[in-house]
Amino acid sequence: MVEVKDLVKTFQSGDGTVTATSNISFKVPDGQFASIVGRSGSGKSTLLSLLGALDEPTSGSIVVGNKDITTLKDHELIAYRGKSIGFVFQNYNLVPSLTALENVMLPMEFAKVPKHARIERAKNLLAEVGLDETQMQRKPGRLSGGQQQRVAIARALANKPALILADEPTGNLDAATGKMIFDLLHTLSRKENTTIIVVTHDLEIAGKTDKTFKLDDGKLIK
Amino acid sequence: MNPVSRGIRNAFRNVVRSGSIVLILGLSIGLSLTMLIAQKAVDNKIKSVKSSIGNTITISPAGFQPGSDEGNALTTSDLKKVQALAHVQSVEEALTGRQSTTGSSSPSFGRFDSSDDSSSSTTSLTSPVTLNSGGPRFFAQGNASGSDNAASATFSLPISFLGTNNPGSVSGTTITLSKGKAIDGTADTNDALISKAMAKKNNLSVGDTFTAYNATLTVTGIFTSSSNNQSAEGTVVLSLPALQRLSGQSGVVSSAVATVDSLDNLSSVTSKVKSTLGSSADVTSAEEQADDTVKPLNSVKTVSTFSLIGSVIAGAVIILLVMVMIVRERKKEIGVVKAIGGSNVRIVGEFMVEALTLAVLGAVIGLIIGVIGGQPVTKMLVDNSSSSGAQTTSFQEPGGDRGGFTIRRSGAGDDMQTPPTGGGQGGFGGRLRTNAATRSFSNVKAQVGPEILLEGFGAAVLIAVLGSALAAGMIAKVRPSTVMRAE
Repeated sequence: MVEVKDLVKTFQSGDGTVTATSNISFKVPDGQFASIVGRSGSGKSTLLSLLGALDEPTSGSIVVGNKDITTLKDHELIAYRGKSIGFVFQNYNLVPSLTALENVMLPMEFAKVPKHARIERAKNLLAEVGLDETQMQRKPGRLSGGQQQRVAIARALANKPALILADEPTGNLDAATGKMIFDLLHTLSRKENTTIIVVTHDLEIAGKTDKTFKLDDGKLIK
Repeated sequence: MNPVSRGIRNAFRNVVRSGSIVLILGLSIGLSLTMLIAQKAVDNKIKSVKSSIGNTITISPAGFQPGSDEGNALTTSDLKKVQALAHVQSVEEALTGRQSTTGSSSPSFGRFDSSDDSSSSTTSLTSPVTLNSGGPRFFAQGNASGSDNAASATFSLPISFLGTNNPGSVSGTTITLSKGKAIDGTADTNDALISKAMAKKNNLSVGDTFTAYNATLTVTGIFTSSSNNQSAEGTVVLSLPALQRLSGQSGVVSSAVATVDSLDNLSSVTSKVKSTLGSSADVTSAEEQADDTVKPLNSVKTVSTFSLIGSVIAGAVIILLVMVMIVRERKKEIGVVKAIGGSNVRIVGEFMVEALTLAVLGAVIGLIIGVIGGQPVTKMLVDNSSSSGAQTTSFQEPGGDRGGFTIRRSGAGDDMQTPPTGGGQGGFGGRLRTNAATRSFSNVKAQVGPEILLEGFGAAVLIAVLGSALAAGMIAKVRPSTVMRAE
């Protein structure tokens, strides 16, 4: 269960204060696929940053698996990000100097998974997202956008996280590839029983999720 | 793949840029290493010079005025006070004089020199030291006129006479009797020791006689000097009382060397001698002489130390700027790694390995530069420093002997023909000693041993660590939320 309660995030901007999220509260049960929609600047990505412990909220709480992540210390946050959360970004954000296989192995290395186990799991995950052995040894620069996003999904699933956070995962892809990636995310999350929260502009994609939250000007309106 | 191999691989992400950085670092580390080699070589030489100093104090009359008889004479009674001081083991006293060869043209000399135009200033001996014969070239200068009189082929060098209570050494050089017997330095007799070269030149052997100071002297022994010192070869050794009598300078001493029981007491005894003799004498300990001698080397050491520090700082700044640039370039990547569970320590470690890889590659190039450039740079620094030091010393030092001759030699070993500035003072002994020390500086050997190589790599590690420090701080400040921002 992901439970967000009275979440507020404000930024200092020039002389004034900008409220990115204002008293947001919602719940997403385990294994559900939820989406967050809204216009640009509505606070979607900020909310995702707060859920993934990439940023600290100004006030409020975020409980993931009975643990309030807003109270965690730095080293606990690093472990939380590494083991409990999987990220999928719009720009893929793979490490360019590493191969696809090494990119998927990286979070497992941080989680101290033994080398042979991480190689095996990384290969299995990459095979599941549709990459062959040759593509696994390629660096991101030599993969297409769709292939890179598949690698990013495999990386997000590497440590079997409780929660996957996806920020516009199909935003840089054509419609067909985007649909394929969304279906892949959906299928794998069902298979691994992972909760997914996806930020998207695409209302068609949002319509296929179990639950949709709409943000407007930092406030949850639906 | 572990952080170390990732860091090494990251160092080669941009081969052209990394190659340029390694080359620049190589030059910087090479300069550091060259300066380290120079510093070590000079340091070793200084230690060697200082370790070779004796526990002696040199005493000479103060206030020499070239060409004048004015000034403070040092006397045997003064030196008795020195001999009575605690920790003084012995005092070697000496009086020197010069005599021209009968019938030859020669200059006159300064104070203490008993030579004049009368027959009392001439000797039947001829100097074995020849002019313009491939050795050091000499200039003679008349005392009174002060004008330059370049030596001609007909000129005969004067004979030096040394009256000493320790006839075992001449002009700082130990002598060995090859024929005959030694003389008693305290007995007032007309017995004399001459060099083998002098004996050969004048067809003299033990028991033969020659004239000087209007007296007949007997050769009782023939000696060889330990280093074929030309000054020693042109010197006749008498007992101190004999030369004092012959030259009419009763009780007068021109120089003395006091030996102290240990190096630990050298400094305190030097102070006591200075206070005992007051302004009547110049008192210099062997330690002070060694300090004077190594002055040029100390300046080389200072230059090399500052250059070493400068080049290490330059190397660190290069790495620092490079690492700052790399961190800025990879800010988003750092955010990604943090977002997927990477800790600051791990990321900083990876960047440090990258910096270390560049620095070590630079160190390899630097070592090659250092090994090739160490000796020539050391030699150049020492030569430049010692030649300027030698010129300065040449004009300031009173010299250990009296007379109008100055032998100068540049640090590089080239002879210099420069007339002395004054008439009387100068002297074989002091000049020769100074110039020998100066010449030995050009033999400073720069050695590249395992210690230097280790220190070179140590410098590379230091450069990498220092240069990565700011980058590490920047990495720690990168927030994982950076990853959410659009590029």
